[in-house]
Amino acid sequence: MLRNICVTQLNLLKSATSLQQQVRTTFILKRKYEPLLHKTNEKPRRMRAKHFIYELVEDTQVKKRPNMEVVLKTFVEGVGDKGDVVSMKPHFVYNKLLLPGLAAYKTPENIAKYAKTEAEKSAVKHSSAYAQRTVNMLESIVLAVIMNKDEPWVLEPWHIKASLRKAGFHCKEDCITLPKERIEGPDLKKESKDFYCIVTINKLEQATLKCRLHHWSTDPSERLPYVLEHWKMTSEPLLDVSSPEKETLNC
Amino acid sequence: MAHATPQGFKLLNGWKRPGRFDKGLGAQLPEAYKKFWREWKLTKPAAVHYIPKESEWERDEVTNVIKPVQNIPLPLIDTPESHQGIWGGEAVIKGFQKRQQTKRRVPHFWVPQLRRSVVHSQVLNEYISVIVTERALEQIHECHGFDHYLLKNLACDLRSALALKLKRQLLLSLQAGCPALADDPQHQQEVLKEYSRYLEPYTPEEIDWYGHTYLEAIRKLQGQLRDAEKVQPHKVEFRSKLIEQLREAGIREAGKLEKPDILAASSEHKDADIEALTNLESSPSSSNWLSKINPFGKKET
Repeated sequence: MLRNICVTQLNLLKSATSLQQQVRTTFILKRKYEPLLHKTNEKPRRMRAKHFIYELVEDTQVKKRPNMEVVLKTFVEGVGDKGDVVSMKPHFVYNKLLLPGLAAYKTPENIAKYAKTEAEKSAVKHSSAYAQRTVNMLESIVLAVIMNKDEPWVLEPWHIKASLRKAGFHCKEDCITLPKERIEGPDLKKESKDFYCIVTINKLEQATLKCRLHHWSTDPSERLPYVLEHWKMTSEPLLDVSSPEKETLNC
Repeated sequence: MAHATPQGFKLLNGWKRPGRFDKGLGAQLPEAYKKFWREWKLTKPAAVHYIPKESEWERDEVTNVIKPVQNIPLPLIDTPESHQGIWGGEAVIKGFQKRQQTKRRVPHFWVPQLRRSVVHSQVLNEYISVIVTERALEQIHECHGFDHYLLKNLACDLRSALALKLKRQLLLSLQAGCPALADDPQHQQEVLKEYSRYLEPYTPEEIDWYGHTYLEAIRKLQGQLRDAEKVQPHKVEFRSKLIEQLREAGIREAGKLEKPDILAASSEHKDADIEALTNLESSPSSSNWLSKINPFGKKET
């Protein structure tokens, strides 16, 4: 009873704990039994075994680390442009940005040093940090363009748009540049032949997309036999079709 | 009073056991090394594994008694492995756990988690693969770079022989003006400007003696003593004197006058001397009296 009263009184007098003052990533322990007081300016008393019984206060190794802020020295794909202050996870920042020398620690001097100059601002090289990633994705795939085997057709941008949507890319029709020559069908000579078209991202970056024609019928008995993993096979280009050229950016 | 005791004035304040700097070779170690030793071993390191109480006094919760706060640090063990990596002040803790109230205490070692990572030194212009802890990396980030971390922190906080050795190399490199960055003078100037403030607390001798373990310091001292008392054989000395005299007399076969210091410099040129003299002897054109006085020439067969 007495103990309870004392505790409630003294809780008012307690000062705030100084736990959150320093970042520690380690075991933080405390003694279960405090050793007896020693004389000031003298050596501590010889401690007994019970003074080496420790209790874990905190293991900061398992705590989530806060993000780190750095200044980018150059354009980094998927991260940001030169002079940007980015905040990301500390391991990624250290291993992928600081050690290769792509970024510097965020200090006022570094921010001033790596800020973009006017000349660099006017010469836009990248529309966004993530556009190049999309270009790489688009250039790595073989897009299956599936056309009708029974009805006559002429290849148009919306065919490519639909095929891209099937592959998980959403884009508008006016981003897609087809080859200049008409591609008509159905023509089983064109089955599994390649042609190239160009996808423009953010009206700036251009990706060359490798497309492969396939024929498909609504009637199951008319369908061509299934080829396993046909995108891994090498194939011939459509002979009469030339690939469209990328526009040069500076003209 | 002091003169009356057999041990002299040293005993006036009680008997003191001679330490490692009071006897043997340790007594000859320079003050520069002792200063480093005090920084490394005798300074209280920052609290890593415990939270020190800030206040000077505290009140007992139950009895209301006011007690002074005495922060006794937990004893830490520096393993040999900790001196091969950079642990950022962490160490192994040996102690007990009381897992259940009714059970006996259990011995336990708290060991920091280690991983291999790379650190980059701007001054040395090198990437170093070392074993680090998470805390070491965080300290590097806090100080804005590996060089800043090493140069800013005291030896007692670095707590690793490897880190201290690197720190000495950094200081030596800064003293020499960053020879590793000689390819890019502009960058070199920037780095020197950024780090030269760390050179202020040290004299060149202190930098030379910084970051050695006790054994390394003793080895270094032994090497210095050995170099100091190196004896040159009289044979070499007299021979070089003779050649010098001959040269002054203007005798052609004694060699040119331009490089007398190189010839007379040390015993390493012994062979060169012998060669020169044997050449003198065997040269058929010289019908000089000099060929007869060579005491070191081979016997003619």
